[in-house]
Amino acid sequence: MTAANPTSWQETWTARAPERHWLLLCGFAVSVGFLLIFGAQRSVERLIEARDLLPLALYVPSLIVVHLTLVAVRFRGDQLLVAAVALLSGLGILMHYRLGAFAADTLAGALRQYALYPACMGAMLLVTLAAMRGRYRHLAASPWLWALVSLGLLAALVVTGQRYRGAIYAAGFLTPSEFLKLSVVLYLAAFIAARAAALGAWRYGVLPPARALLPLVAVWLVLCALLLWQRDLGMVAILNVVLLLLLTLGSGRIGYFLLGLAVAVGGSLILLRFFSHSARRIDAWLNPFTDPTGASWQLLQGLSGMYSGGLWGQGFGAGNPEYIPIAASDFVYAVVGEELGFFGSVLVVLFFLLLFQRGFAIALRCRGLFARLLAAGLTAVLAVQTFLNIGGVTKLIPLTGLTLPFISQGGSSLLASLMAVGLLLAISDGEPKGRGRTKRRKA
Amino acid sequence: MNPLATFNTLIDSPAWPTLQLGLHGLFFLAFLYLLKRLFDLRRAAVLKALPKPKSMVGGGLVLLVLGVAFGAVLAYQASWQLMGMTRPDFIAFMQTYDRRQFNPAHRIARGRIADRRGRVLADSDEAEGRVRRVYPYGPVFAHVIGYQDPTFGATGLEGSANAHLNGSTPADLRAWRDLGQQVITQREPRGQDLVLTLDADLQRLAFAALDGRAGAVVMLRPGDGAVRVLASAPAFDPNRLDPALFKPGDPNARLLNRALQGRYPPGSTFKLVVAAEALAAGQTGPLYCEAQGFTTSARYPLIRDHDYYTARRAGLTWKGHGSLGLSRALAESCNVFFAKLGVQLGHERFAATLNNFLFGQRIPLHSSAYGSLTMVTGEAPRIAKSDQYGLAQASIGQGRVLMSPAHLALITAAIANDGLAVKPRLVASDEPEALARLMTATQARQLQQMMRRVVTEGTARGIAMPGLAIAGKTGTAQNSDGAPHSWFVGFAPADRRAPEQTLAIAVLVEQGGYGSAVAAPLARDLLLQAQQLGLLP
Repeated sequence: MTAANPTSWQETWTARAPERHWLLLCGFAVSVGFLLIFGAQRSVERLIEARDLLPLALYVPSLIVVHLTLVAVRFRGDQLLVAAVALLSGLGILMHYRLGAFAADTLAGALRQYALYPACMGAMLLVTLAAMRGRYRHLAASPWLWALVSLGLLAALVVTGQRYRGAIYAAGFLTPSEFLKLSVVLYLAAFIAARAAALGAWRYGVLPPARALLPLVAVWLVLCALLLWQRDLGMVAILNVVLLLLLTLGSGRIGYFLLGLAVAVGGSLILLRFFSHSARRIDAWLNPFTDPTGASWQLLQGLSGMYSGGLWGQGFGAGNPEYIPIAASDFVYAVVGEELGFFGSVLVVLFFLLLFQRGFAIALRCRGLFARLLAAGLTAVLAVQTFLNIGGVTKLIPLTGLTLPFISQGGSSLLASLMAVGLLLAISDGEPKGRGRTKRRKA
Repeated sequence: MNPLATFNTLIDSPAWPTLQLGLHGLFFLAFLYLLKRLFDLRRAAVLKALPKPKSMVGGGLVLLVLGVAFGAVLAYQASWQLMGMTRPDFIAFMQTYDRRQFNPAHRIARGRIADRRGRVLADSDEAEGRVRRVYPYGPVFAHVIGYQDPTFGATGLEGSANAHLNGSTPADLRAWRDLGQQVITQREPRGQDLVLTLDADLQRLAFAALDGRAGAVVMLRPGDGAVRVLASAPAFDPNRLDPALFKPGDPNARLLNRALQGRYPPGSTFKLVVAAEALAAGQTGPLYCEAQGFTTSARYPLIRDHDYYTARRAGLTWKGHGSLGLSRALAESCNVFFAKLGVQLGHERFAATLNNFLFGQRIPLHSSAYGSLTMVTGEAPRIAKSDQYGLAQASIGQGRVLMSPAHLALITAAIANDGLAVKPRLVASDEPEALARLMTATQARQLQQMMRRVVTEGTARGIAMPGLAIAGKTGTAQNSDGAPHSWFVGFAPADRRAPEQTLAIAVLVEQGGYGSAVAAPLARDLLLQAQQLGLLP
């Protein structure tokens, strides 16, 4: 077991050779992407300047910093996750740069954009460092704290938020609802892990334990009501999928899943009746050609872009994302489809799948119930969000207005996603030997 | 040696497009290589810190769920991104609203539209990466073929056969193979051709015969509904669409397809319908027709014959027809006779006849899942039971009875086809389709003889000539706008019983005056020209 538990940084350096190799390839692929964009954006009056190299010049070092830090702290956790996130983030930087996010007038404004990815990767690293070696178990100490944090985030949103595109977005720099994904998963994992036995005790095998569920249901109803009031249906969808998954996984009762499915079907029918906003979206989804220049314009322009991309794509930087409204955030996948083609989209989806598969693999290997639920919950949040986003852009499902993790523009979304990965990495580092395992069982 | 400056010059150099293509490929290769290396080194990077899972079920389930969910997304995405050409609505959307220069939807070489002899009526011409539609015959086919334009959309057959012309509905194996090539290369997508039943020469002659006057000509083969001429004037040039054309309130209504969509009082041509009704009822006269005219009540003006007014204008007194049978009344187009006959037949029978003669319908001449080119049939509001005068007026094709030229052509063709109405069709590959039986074969033959008599000794005797036996009916329809509309409906030859060698015709000249003076000679000329072109024996 000594090989699996390196004690010196030299051993870690050797053990993490695959990660180094993969990050090197990531850096190479992203550099080629930048060359392509430079070529496409070069115009008669604008030469490529040193400033244009800055995003790349910040990306590559941040990969190096991540790798070296993990080696330095003798990190034993996952390497593949790091590589997958590095590549997806690299694609995100490419898309940001390509969609003109870095074209700020002032140096300070530009710097804030340039620093976004490195800063968020730094945050990911900090979360990992803080929570590794089993320290993440402290997060399970008080489920109610996370419930309060979640409701507080929502309350902050209600107070500061303003209506924008049919949903409420926060006025300032941060979108508090993005961090709900973290706090709610933490709440669920802590709550369910602490009451796993009670939650699994179904009466006659058909009736869920009402008393054990009651506190959860109360918090959940408030949470969903507030989210629905803000018309954030996408978030409601994500959180409910995660709730069902964690209840089923934690209690070992498939009944939660079936019950949840029934409630979800009934609930969405009621919701559609009362939410004109979502009924419109459903209509634009089902019959896009009845109002092509109105409600379905964005969707159809996105699909048109993908169609003109075809199998191989127009080439990075050579498409026309300016015809798709809000391409940079919700519809970034359509730009990927247009410029990298169907082939490129498949590659991007493959990397997402790799990430999710790895996240669930970590969850399945965890001994501790809290760790297992937390890893599964965080991965599920990312997976469901990705599915809802690209499913919506490709018209498979109605649009929910969610961002594409790591790639869409939006600092809060990126920060929350990378912090989730940070926690996943910390969990994959395992628990220290010899203590805790028997003690944690019943807290 | 400044690498940035070198790069800038490189981008400017003519070699850059090739280099860019290479970089694009290299980008993909880098991705693929990374995937390969992720796979190669997976054993070296197992999750050492965590215990092995007890069973493989969980991992398998995760892979299954993720694979199904994202596989479905990618498959559905492919149905738009790669197979978008099989979604005609989508292609039409892109052709109208997508401004991307390189969108293949703009480069689709739409199929050609050709007449029955293969003469090209609409073609595609590529210039500067955009495909433009070219119409060699200009305004002659403007209404029936319509136009396809990125700004103004698609109308006529260009609209109803849009999917076919864009190649969105692959019909055979070759079309599917072409589609597969399109998916991989995205170059030069091709549509499918459309062959019509129309005859370009005859259509051009018909359009020329209208000579700028507002009106319509419809010619079709009674036996199978093949439309040979569908002309409407005034028209526009589909090669140069003028935005003024689309402003509402164009007094000339140049966009209106008068042949299919125009509704006019049918005048005396409607007497064919009443005659058929009388034949079915067995009431063929004789009726006494007063020279002074006929009315149902003293409160209403008298319905009189045309001869009455002619005589009065000459300062004479007309003696009247006296007692008339149906056949002579039709030949002389006697208003008094038909007004009386209509009242005698009654409201119920009248309404049933209109229903039987397909009034109040829209009949598609060509339709696809994405649109259709339709003709409207006549309309006659319900006449109240108490309104005898309204019935009398309607029976001579006045009052509120309105019909389209295509509807009258359809009825005439049905008479020539021994009573069976066949759906008019424009696309050669469409199967002939019976619409309805308007009357029995015996009645139809009686009516054929009566219509022949109109030309040999009746109101249309001016167009009688040796060589082609024309049967028909004239119409002079009073209207509130001014001079009466001039109508002629008929078929030729009347002396042979071969439906595939017969042509039915309906001619309308808006405010042209007497049917016998304007529409009838025009129809005669066109039938003679059809004979010269070999369409008639």
